[in-house]
Amino acid sequence: MSLKEKEAKFGWKLVLPTVILISLLILYPVIYNIYLSFFEVSISDAPNKFVGLGNYREILTDASFWKSFGITILFTFTTVVGSILLGLGVALLMNREFPGRNIVRALLLLPYVTPLIAIVFAWKYIFLPIDGPLMQFLAIFGMNPGNDFVNNPNNAFWVVSVFNIWRNFPFVYLMILSRLQSINSDYYEAAEIDGASDWQKFVHITLPELYFVIASVALLRGIWNFYKFDEVYLMSKFANTLPVYIYEKAFSGIPEQGVAAAIATILFVIMISLIGLYVKKVLKW
Amino acid sequence: MKKLLVLMLVVILVSSVFAKITFWTTEVESNRMQRIRALATIFKAQTGIEVEVVPVEENDLLKQIPIAKNAGTLPDLLEGGIEPMLLLGSENFLDEDLATKIIMDFGDVYDGAARMLSNGEGKYYGIPFHAWVQGIWYRKDMFASQDLGDPITWYNIALAAKVLNDPAKGVYGIILPKKADAYAEQVFTEVALANGARPIDEMGNITFNTPEMIEAFRFYKELGKYSKPGFTTVLDALKGYLNGEAAMIFYSTYIMDDIAVEEVQKGRINKFNPELVKNTGFANKMINIRPTSYGQVVALGITKNANKEEVEKFVKFLMTDKNYVYWVHMAPGGMNPTRKSVAESDAFLDNPVLERYGKAKIAEIVAALDSVERFEFLNGKVITDMSKLSANFVIGKAINYMFANDWTPQQTAMWAQKEAEKILGK
Repeated sequence: MSLKEKEAKFGWKLVLPTVILISLLILYPVIYNIYLSFFEVSISDAPNKFVGLGNYREILTDASFWKSFGITILFTFTTVVGSILLGLGVALLMNREFPGRNIVRALLLLPYVTPLIAIVFAWKYIFLPIDGPLMQFLAIFGMNPGNDFVNNPNNAFWVVSVFNIWRNFPFVYLMILSRLQSINSDYYEAAEIDGASDWQKFVHITLPELYFVIASVALLRGIWNFYKFDEVYLMSKFANTLPVYIYEKAFSGIPEQGVAAAIATILFVIMISLIGLYVKKVLKW
Repeated sequence: MKKLLVLMLVVILVSSVFAKITFWTTEVESNRMQRIRALATIFKAQTGIEVEVVPVEENDLLKQIPIAKNAGTLPDLLEGGIEPMLLLGSENFLDEDLATKIIMDFGDVYDGAARMLSNGEGKYYGIPFHAWVQGIWYRKDMFASQDLGDPITWYNIALAAKVLNDPAKGVYGIILPKKADAYAEQVFTEVALANGARPIDEMGNITFNTPEMIEAFRFYKELGKYSKPGFTTVLDALKGYLNGEAAMIFYSTYIMDDIAVEEVQKGRINKFNPELVKNTGFANKMINIRPTSYGQVVALGITKNANKEEVEKFVKFLMTDKNYVYWVHMAPGGMNPTRKSVAESDAFLDNPVLERYGKAKIAEIVAALDSVERFEFLNGKVITDMSKLSANFVIGKAINYMFANDWTPQQTAMWAQKEAEKILGK
């Protein structure tokens, strides 16, 4: 055996535990999920029934699936754009010198690091009709304190979107801030000598420098929010996004786990192709 | 090596001596959990069988079952209302033979309570464990000052809600459920049955679109006008009533200790109104074109894969003498025994709350269980499809949307009709 072959063999031995772990924890569930999607899964002792593409046919012709799908796309788009704009704005502010900056920077992380369930209860309390502090405050300006923003099924989408943007902007802000601080100040000085305005400096220097950070953050947040379940479900069960739809299909009433598995498979395929396209076109790898 | 072998042997021996069962309970509140854990400890001391008590939210019970099934962590025994029991039973999850045997062994279980768990073929899906009755709890003092009749008929209820509603003073005529949950369905059931309306008829037809049902939605929406704003839930109703914010609320007999016991009331709203017991009335039935009353039996279901012998011992332990009284006293008035001998025993009535309401009142409540009506039962038949509608909160959602979108009663009924048809595949 040559040295190179020995090294290759040693390399395999080193990565083997990781490969096995990933296979067990990720590949197996994915493959099992695809397998289940071809069955009518029984929840009692009776064996599963093979239905071929039946589950897929059922979903693709189900209007409520397409509605959920549209809502999920809109939710992902709204929250990703919203949290990036907010994160970018805050990062630009925090990049300037001012007294007490360190404390403010630390406080800004609170929404992201506080346990989710605590925040959800706090929001629900603040928005409580009649008795909630925010509603009592708004009543001073003549608003009807009886409005129930959080529990109104028509508001569910906006409530979870705003909540998600608010909770996740610190992550975007952190990423962008760290990149902002490493932009060479020579660029700005040169631009100033050429007489560039603040806006021109932002558009021609800051934004291009931030391009790849923002694009990567958008990809990550996009993937996370497309599959976001916990925040949505805890704030409002009626936001009707796809992860909630899958959960309802799989675990409520008479569970249809085969159908739920088929939905998950469809989402998986859509997500993989979207990510591939994005990585190639936007991140230009 | 020898030491290790001995150690392993000891571990195996010990674990086989102490068998274990898992028990899911919907009594999730911490003081109730404390009592249940105490009972489990006593049981272990007596029999060596360990009971793992797992609290599960009532609204989440049906969601947790398939999750647990996939994870291989199904309980041996679970406590829950009739709807989940009928659904689980019809899906072949429950051991009907063992449940029936235990009921027969007791020999004194109220027929009315057991009937609600019948599988239609002479057996029972579960064992009726304890029961409550629902009605309108109202402020007699407020009613007397306006010379209003008891809120038993639709007319009296609507009139009282209107007259007593005074939002400027922070008092509402009623606090009505408007969120899509089990409580909304419970309240609407009583309203609909008083008008002879049912979601599913004897032939299995979905009948949300009948004039009686539309009328029931209209009455519900009318009450909503004089109700506390917001998509209020069961806890809002309870706290609102104790606070003096509401003249009427729909609630089960579970409220009896909240009204009467200082400690319990303070746990809810941080203050105590000693006059509340005296000033509270209870309407145990509702009439529009016919009288009806609503109640719930909470049952114990034994799953098919249970450790049968241990579970049987535990059920009999829970439903006998001191242990049974200790359990139902965790919510005096709310939890009533379903075994005649225990319900009539002095030990059961020996309780500060129950004493205050008196033996006759308690007997009346327990007896009402033989006459309570449910959407799931009609002329001795069990309508299991109804459980599917309940599991999907069809009625709760319809009510929720009616108030959120300001739907007319017709629109609400049509939506419920379509939704029910979709869920039942009709």
